[in-house]
Amino acid sequence: MTSCHNIRPLLPARAEELTLFEVRARAEHVAECARCATEAAAYSRLGQALAVMANLEVDPADGTLERVLVAIGRRRTGVTDPRLLAAAGASGALVATVVVARAVRSRRRSRRRPTSGPWRRLRLPNLPVPAPALARAK
Amino acid sequence: MEVDRELVEAAQAGDRWALEELVRRTHRSVYTCALRLVGNPDDAADVTQDVYLRVVRKLGGFRHEASFSTWLNRVTTNVAMSTLKRRTRRFAVEGAAVPADTPDPAPDPAERAEAVALARRLELLVAGLPEGQRQVLVLRDVYGQSTEEVANAMGLTPGAVKVRLFRARERLKAELEATEGGQVVALAGRRRATGRRS
Repeated sequence: MTSCHNIRPLLPARAEELTLFEVRARAEHVAECARCATEAAAYSRLGQALAVMANLEVDPADGTLERVLVAIGRRRTGVTDPRLLAAAGASGALVATVVVARAVRSRRRSRRRPTSGPWRRLRLPNLPVPAPALARAK
Repeated sequence: MEVDRELVEAAQAGDRWALEELVRRTHRSVYTCALRLVGNPDDAADVTQDVYLRVVRKLGGFRHEASFSTWLNRVTTNVAMSTLKRRTRRFAVEGAAVPADTPDPAPDPAERAEAVALARRLELLVAGLPEGQRQVLVLRDVYGQSTEEVANAMGLTPGAVKVRLFRARERLKAELEATEGGQVVALAGRRRATGRRS
């Protein structure tokens, strides 16, 4: 029979964490050693109680749920299918490209016009031009 | 945490009510998992919010290959681990775990009551474990993730996970026996005796 010293490191482990050889050695030892059998049973119960913990829930602080709902309300798009999101993204990129291209083109055109400038925008009324004094003397 | 497939599918289709209902049904479970991993209530609340923001982004890609709760646990684990990498840990046990009533799969009502009572006591002891041991134990023994999954989530080798797991279980059993007067052993003995009778 394998000694307690060799088996003790195997006692806390679950069967699936051990090799077949280790599982067999542990089972054979535990069948004949009352002390190690008690230890193994204690670890088994501990494992079961830990698994039960997965079903225990802790109440979060007040307002946590509301905070989450607000956060996802801000983020939520209503469309979660990645294909639709990709199509929407591609369409958005296309529209953005067109808008930018048009803006660049119109800016280039406006640079070519010499009439640009704030003083050119002022239009004088159609006033009669005064005749020069020399012409009047004639 | 029970979640209907129909509810998940409705949320995936963009139903706002379904998404909010999904959050209402699962947020306590997500918060609990986050609290067990990060170790303090403030960070757990932040993780909970980040989990659902990620869920909103990724829900369309969920294909029902695993159960929704398993998927949600993985998302929670990843977000919690990312959070821990970003932040220094402020404090550990304060505010930890006062579990509410919950179902338990044990068939015998007496056994079930004992297991739930034991699990509640364990909650505090688990919260007091060193961070690395606690996270490994929570992911492996509480949420049933494989050693490889735990290693991936924590950026460890499977061997390192096994070492931490061994130390955590050993320490937890010793602390439980010290605080409860060997109750685990007593329960085990009673169970064996019951088994022999039947």
